[in-house]
Amino acid sequence: MGMQNSLRVERAIKNITQAELAELIGVSRQTINTIESNKYVPSTVLALKIARVFEKPVEQIFLLEDGD
Amino acid sequence: MKPQFLFPTWCRWLGLALFLVHLPVILIFKSYDLHSDPNDAGMFSVSHVFFVVTIVLMVSGLFLIAFSRERIEDEQIYQLRLSSLRWAIFANYAILIVCLVFTNSKADYKDLLRLNLWVPLVFFIVLFSYKMFRLNRSLSKEDGYAK
Repeated sequence: MGMQNSLRVERAIKNITQAELAELIGVSRQTINTIESNKYVPSTVLALKIARVFEKPVEQIFLLEDGD
Repeated sequence: MKPQFLFPTWCRWLGLALFLVHLPVILIFKSYDLHSDPNDAGMFSVSHVFFVVTIVLMVSGLFLIAFSRERIEDEQIYQLRLSSLRWAIFANYAILIVCLVFTNSKADYKDLLRLNLWVPLVFFIVLFSYKMFRLNRSLSKEDGYAK
């Protein structure tokens, strides 16, 4: 998959669990988990919602992998 | 995400109940051998009513199981639903084409219709449940690491 993310790190900084983040943006905990393990690429809307929770631009959380 | 049209979550159990109810009805039908009467061909004949009752119970049951809402619906689950549906349609048409090729004109097309009624729904339910199971298992693995 051509994308990586720093969701786990950002969550650790903000000190919230997967379940709490999931509830904040209205998705299942499974979705947060699969995003963190790079198994699922979120839609733009979801990425923007996540970025809003962490108060950072999307590019700081989601990055294209080299060579893409 | 825009809300999709799906039945409420409890409809899954209603669907399961309807599906389970149709099994004894079929057994009664088969054990009394009701459709062997050749004079019994009207719209409200015993065999036709039984056929309709079993088919309606089965299809509406499967339909409710297939299209009831998960506890939390999000875009990933929507994607899983869509890909399961695609494979179910592929499987259905593959089976349908094979059946059409390997049956001659004397075949009872009611059987083909019956097959066509449940194959897409059953394939969809099995695939989607398997995908949901794998998704949930990835979560319990994660919990295992965290401990």
